[in-house]
Amino acid sequence: MHRAARAALHDRSDPVGLTMIRRCLRCRVPLQQSSRAYGIVPPPRDSEEKEMLDQILRVDHAGEYGANRIYAGQMAVLGRSSVGPLIQEMWDQEKKHLAKFNEILAENRVRPTALLPLWNIAGFALGASCALLGKEGAMACTVAVEESISEHYNSQIRALMEKDPERYTELLQVIKEFRDDEMEHHDTGLEHDAESVPGYWLLKTAIQLGCKAAILVSQRV
Amino acid sequence: MAALLRGLRAGRALRGLGRVVAAPTATDLQSGGLRRGFHRAVLRLQDESKSDKHPSSSSSTYHEHYQAHHAEPDSAGGPQDDLTSDPAAEEASRANTSYQDQGGEQGEEYETEEQLQARVLTAALEFVPLHGWSMEAIAAAAETLGLSSASTGMFYNGAGDLVLHFIAQCNSQLTEILAEQHNQVQLGQAEPKKTADFLSDAVETRLRMHIPYMESWPQAMSILLLPHNIPDSLKHLSTLVDDMWYCAGDRSTDMNWYTKRAALTGIYNTTELVMLQDSSPDFQDTWNFLDNRIQDVVNMAATAKQAQATGETVVQGLMGAAVTLKNLTGLNQRR
Repeated sequence: MHRAARAALHDRSDPVGLTMIRRCLRCRVPLQQSSRAYGIVPPPRDSEEKEMLDQILRVDHAGEYGANRIYAGQMAVLGRSSVGPLIQEMWDQEKKHLAKFNEILAENRVRPTALLPLWNIAGFALGASCALLGKEGAMACTVAVEESISEHYNSQIRALMEKDPERYTELLQVIKEFRDDEMEHHDTGLEHDAESVPGYWLLKTAIQLGCKAAILVSQRV
Repeated sequence: MAALLRGLRAGRALRGLGRVVAAPTATDLQSGGLRRGFHRAVLRLQDESKSDKHPSSSSSTYHEHYQAHHAEPDSAGGPQDDLTSDPAAEEASRANTSYQDQGGEQGEEYETEEQLQARVLTAALEFVPLHGWSMEAIAAAAETLGLSSASTGMFYNGAGDLVLHFIAQCNSQLTEILAEQHNQVQLGQAEPKKTADFLSDAVETRLRMHIPYMESWPQAMSILLLPHNIPDSLKHLSTLVDDMWYCAGDRSTDMNWYTKRAALTGIYNTTELVMLQDSSPDFQDTWNFLDNRIQDVVNMAATAKQAQATGETVVQGLMGAAVTLKNLTGLNQRR
């Protein structure tokens, strides 16, 4: 599998000597396209870089987890309506994103955010309550959340490009791909009459404020 | 709390300004001069204590040469003393602390302060059974290495430094052992262990490293509980537990990450405490206690899984009942 082969090249200079373990874990998988020695995230050169990468990966993982729960909430209310299959499709894409980040986190020994249970409940509640406002409400929620996430991914891409685009090529690729998916969801939401929900501007602003706060907190905790 | 610790550290740093030594992590050119100054100060004190050892002219001329190039204002007893006494100079031209590359900060023979500290602390471990975890042990070690006993001044934290160094050393030994075991499994020379057994063996291996210092270990533990040592000891503990779980194969990225590490931390700490008052042969009671605790956690995890499965079934049953009710009352007509 594509991912497993890329993981084969993962070889971090772990000061604690666990490089041997990883090398052995991957030694039987054949080499693949990239000639680099690592998979998606380069081994951090110092604790500062590790800190930065940890925060980026942690908050992205939390974001995908939250998005997952939001769609789950929407499906719980609108699952059997006409817009059900559409929401299901968007949800499946988010599941793929979450799986990818789970993999990256496990490989790089990044601590997941301790607020995951909170995002679990909050995400589901947000999705369900917006869906109770009708299909337009659910679409408005999608638009607001996806806009926040896209903005957030964009600022991460900017930060990584400023630091060293060469070094973070694979990671940038992953983030760009996910950002494009989120933009697609955002546009889908707009196409399906998100703006026709009463109080659209208020709803959108409130949700985006919440997302900003969540992103800020998930980076550290 | 963090602010308090930062304040303590700042206070200590201010006190340290009076000393000639730079911060342990600084390796830039500016601090190099300070470090060289420190080494010279150490050796000067050594000169004064060992003034009648074997002379060696070559090293004293070299020492003069060095003095001529580094007329810095920290000469406490004036440069004159150094020209006459030379055992220090002789010791100075020992393998690791060569002053010959004056610009060569990163020359191979130049030992950083961290390496020197590590060497002293490792040597100090031998004196712990005699002096306990204290500055005396460090001073005794410094003397066996040929440094002045006043070189203990470079350890701001005193006994805390010694205990933390020992802990870091034990942790890295453990990870080497675990990596080696993993190698063995990969090469097919050993059977992979079940998680419970793996963790039990890992904790036992790690705690056995305390056995040589068992009598003074309560003192070490109380040193680790001092407020200014707590952040460092917690960091060591958390990396230890994280490494043990990672080597046991844990790759979770949800709340399990936290619950597993919390459980193992609890097991490790309680087992360590039990070991303190264990008088059975080869600490057999402690290892039994450890096995029982790990078994408890395994059982709890199984129970939790069972409860979750039951809960899900119950919810499904309730949903089924609700749908049936809605059908019966005709509420489910239109969607």
